[in-house]
Amino acid sequence: MEASAEPVARTRAASDRTRSERRLGWMLCAPAVIAMLLVTAYPITYAFVLSMQDIDLRFPGEGGFVGLDNYVTVLTSSLWWEDLFNTAFITAVTVSIEFVLGFAIALVMYRAIFARGVVRVSVLIPYGIITVVAAFSWFYAFDPESGFVNNLPLVDAEKAWFGDRWSAFTVIILAEVWKTTPFIALLLLAGLTTIDEGLYEAAKVDGANAVQRFFRITLPLMKPAIVVALLFRTLDAFRVFDTVFIMTGGGQQTESLSILGYNQLISRLNLGLGSAVSVLIFLLVLTIAFMFVRFLGASVPGREREAR
Amino acid sequence: MQRSSREYTIWTVGLVALLAFALLPVLWIVSLSLKRPAQVGDGRFIPQEVTFQNYNSLFEGGLDSPLLRPLINSIGIALIATVIAIVLASFAAYAIARLDFPGKTAILAGALAVAMFPPISTVGPLFDMWRALGIYDTYPGLIIPYLTFSLPLAIYVLVAFFREIPWDLEQAAQVDGATPFQAYRKVIVPLAAPGVFTAAILVFIFCWNDFVFAISLTSSPEGAQTVPAALAFFTGDESQFTAPTASISAAAVLVTIPIIIFVLIFQRRIVAGLTSGAVKG
Amino acid sequence: MQRHRSSLALVAALAAVVGLGLLLAGCGGGGSDDNTLRWFIFNEPGGGPQQAARQCSQQSNGRYQIEFDFLPADADGQREQLVRRLGAEDSTIDIIGMDVIWTGEFANAGWIEEWTGQQADAVSQGVFDSVLETARYEGRLYAAPIWTNTQLLWYRSDRVDQPPETWDEMIEEGVRLEENGEGGRIQVQADRYEGLVVWANALIASAGTEILSGPEQIDLAEGPTEDALAIMGRIARSPAAAPDISTSDEDSGRLAFQDGGSAFMVNYPFVHPSAKEEAPNVFKNMDAAPYPRVEAGRQSAPPLGGINLAVSSFSDNKELAFEAIECLIQPENQIAIAEAGGLPPVLEELYDRPVIEEIYPGFVEILREAIETAVPRPSQSPAYQDLSLAIQRSLHPPADIDPEDPAPTYDRLRDYVQQAVDVEGLL
Repeated sequence: MEASAEPVARTRAASDRTRSERRLGWMLCAPAVIAMLLVTAYPITYAFVLSMQDIDLRFPGEGGFVGLDNYVTVLTSSLWWEDLFNTAFITAVTVSIEFVLGFAIALVMYRAIFARGVVRVSVLIPYGIITVVAAFSWFYAFDPESGFVNNLPLVDAEKAWFGDRWSAFTVIILAEVWKTTPFIALLLLAGLTTIDEGLYEAAKVDGANAVQRFFRITLPLMKPAIVVALLFRTLDAFRVFDTVFIMTGGGQQTESLSILGYNQLISRLNLGLGSAVSVLIFLLVLTIAFMFVRFLGASVPGREREAR
Repeated sequence: MQRSSREYTIWTVGLVALLAFALLPVLWIVSLSLKRPAQVGDGRFIPQEVTFQNYNSLFEGGLDSPLLRPLINSIGIALIATVIAIVLASFAAYAIARLDFPGKTAILAGALAVAMFPPISTVGPLFDMWRALGIYDTYPGLIIPYLTFSLPLAIYVLVAFFREIPWDLEQAAQVDGATPFQAYRKVIVPLAAPGVFTAAILVFIFCWNDFVFAISLTSSPEGAQTVPAALAFFTGDESQFTAPTASISAAAVLVTIPIIIFVLIFQRRIVAGLTSGAVKG
Repeated sequence: MQRHRSSLALVAALAAVVGLGLLLAGCGGGGSDDNTLRWFIFNEPGGGPQQAARQCSQQSNGRYQIEFDFLPADADGQREQLVRRLGAEDSTIDIIGMDVIWTGEFANAGWIEEWTGQQADAVSQGVFDSVLETARYEGRLYAAPIWTNTQLLWYRSDRVDQPPETWDEMIEEGVRLEENGEGGRIQVQADRYEGLVVWANALIASAGTEILSGPEQIDLAEGPTEDALAIMGRIARSPAAAPDISTSDEDSGRLAFQDGGSAFMVNYPFVHPSAKEEAPNVFKNMDAAPYPRVEAGRQSAPPLGGINLAVSSFSDNKELAFEAIECLIQPENQIAIAEAGGLPPVLEELYDRPVIEEIYPGFVEILREAIETAVPRPSQSPAYQDLSLAIQRSLHPPADIDPEDPAPTYDRLRDYVQQAVDVEGLL
């Protein structure tokens, strides 16, 4: 983009435009940015500061700056690594299932030949039910004493679903998938609607079958929606709390990182350790987001060609 | 188009399976809500005897009933927060999708970072801040954090959608004689609609469902206590050890109805956008 | 650019309107009277505290007015709300309804006021020693007990002639009944929560040792502790265990017992009126017995619960709060609370009164003795929450404890408890 020998007027007009465009850009973004920073600037900074202190609300006189000691404590604790595994496991499994299931549901919602409205509303109800209540109802359903699952034909009547690590994981994952698949389905549905039908017609004329149309047209064109859905769902899944808390309280080695953080911060009032755990969770989540952007590519708008 | 009966059967089976998956646990909650508290633990999917006492007790006392005020708060706060969030997010997304200015990526990355911080850590300082500012247990006290934590998702969704919109259509419409505003309204808005309404549903449900902020930043139904927080205060009939499962289930069922209404209104809009014909031809 | 501007203007106007609405919605909220005392406590279903508060407010002739700020139903939720405010030195709180395990923690943090002199005497005279223990920290009194709670052994008198005296006897009976198909399940609380600590503490104390012998000294004598742990393992692994034992709590136990398949349950007295109303067929064969022993010759140490009333150190009305509490714990109020919610009084002499016999028909003596012999959890430790987490972590699920070789579990328990007392590491 070198300045040509063309009249200076044009370049000046161009840079005027860029400047006013920049200004407009910032102005439009400002309210949102302010709203976000206003609330989080202080708490997040405060959390960082706390994480480097030995501070426990129950022992007000003691404590002080300890640098990275809290982080060392956390990272050298086998509990942290066990919980990290649990969290990563739950995240990976739930998001994978949800993606496949969510896509299928989105296709159904899009192409259903009847009862569309009913289907769409019904599918979104799980997402709309208060999380804590949903977790409780799943817990109750699988409870050997008060639930109906153990009374089903093929199920062992005495099976203690929450008494064993892997069966507990199964129920937790089931509950999570049920609750949040609609989130992915909704985003993918909206993505589906932006695809021009004409493309399918043209492809059909060219002899492409349904599978080919799906993989060559649908998937690529839906990439932005897919990446947003996966990104946010993964980041959310990584912070799973309610479902695990209600079903096992973290017992049977199903504890998630968020529960670990909660125990230090709220139960033990050890603000230093609790904040360190929170900061570490935060950094992990950022890493995941970074990897998404890096390897799943384009969806960070701004790195893209401008559609002008 | 003629559809074979085989297609219909496949679809019916598929739809039934889908609905079963989605609604079975919901039916279970409904079932729990219709049981007498003593029968909650009997393990039956269909209640032995159906009773509405749980629902009735939720509305005893009119405005002071356990559920009415929190329900009103939930609806009000979620609606206001959604409207503001969509407005703010649209501005930002429009800018990011269409304009070129430095700091775009920083804003997006920052937005994401902000939303990803464990809420439990922010609650303590927020409590202190809000008490100092006097907005503890008020509508703004909840709306502001809801904005903060839902804006990133809203912005990302809207950016993803705005980028898909062929903006030349706007210019094409103007060439055809439409004013800028008409072009915007008749061409761009329908195309943006799916994204906007999707973002709106997501934000609303986020606010509706939130527990962490609600329990920490509110304290009374007369203030800003929402339904999820109110549920934590439900007690069983006889003692602190009795879990109020039946009444909580009833409350959850009732409280899902506004969601159904909200989604019903909006989900049509999400798909309506495309079929307006703006894109074809 | 113009098209941007016009639509922008429209939206900006909309935002302004909404913003205004927001501001208006935020207005409101009343001030407080100078003599209002705010009592932070969970909403006790029977309504006893409310009755007592009304009575005392009237009796004060305008000196004070007690109003309630309700806390969530579960103890952890209550503590979370309280701690957040106390940590922020909130002056809104005057009277705190304290769970018995918070005393050491709150006192050490400087959040509750000490009771001294005549007032201390007034609120401790005639109260069970065990109950007073729960209100003390470093030998000083920090709260006034208002009601207490303990567990009894509830059993099916139509299935066993005599209630078992020891845990092992109970297991034997239960297994025998199960094998005969007569329903001999044993209900305990063994989920990963405070209830597990209650059970473990009772077993350990019944075995003759304690978890802590001082705010920072661990006791946990090896022999008795391992006996206690072995019992936990034995129950969890026995055919008489409830299938959901690792997620069992007071309520699931109650419901299961009411369903009829169980012969034994350790639980608080609330199960008695509940069964009467909800499961009359079970109720007519339901009897109470003392909490099971670990060894035949040694008195058992039932769990101890309840609520103590404390004055917040950040209250603007401390004097009035002390006065109000002295009124709230009056015998008449304790009786009203017992009548309304079945919550046992803390004054020994009240157990002689007929009205109490009516509330606990047939087991008043057992109840009184249970409270007398109860051993509190180590609430004198400021790090009680850590202790609780440590115990939960090492003992859950109880089926993991090998009754033949509880030593590994003992070691793990000791390690975690040490960590808790030192307030170190991740729990």
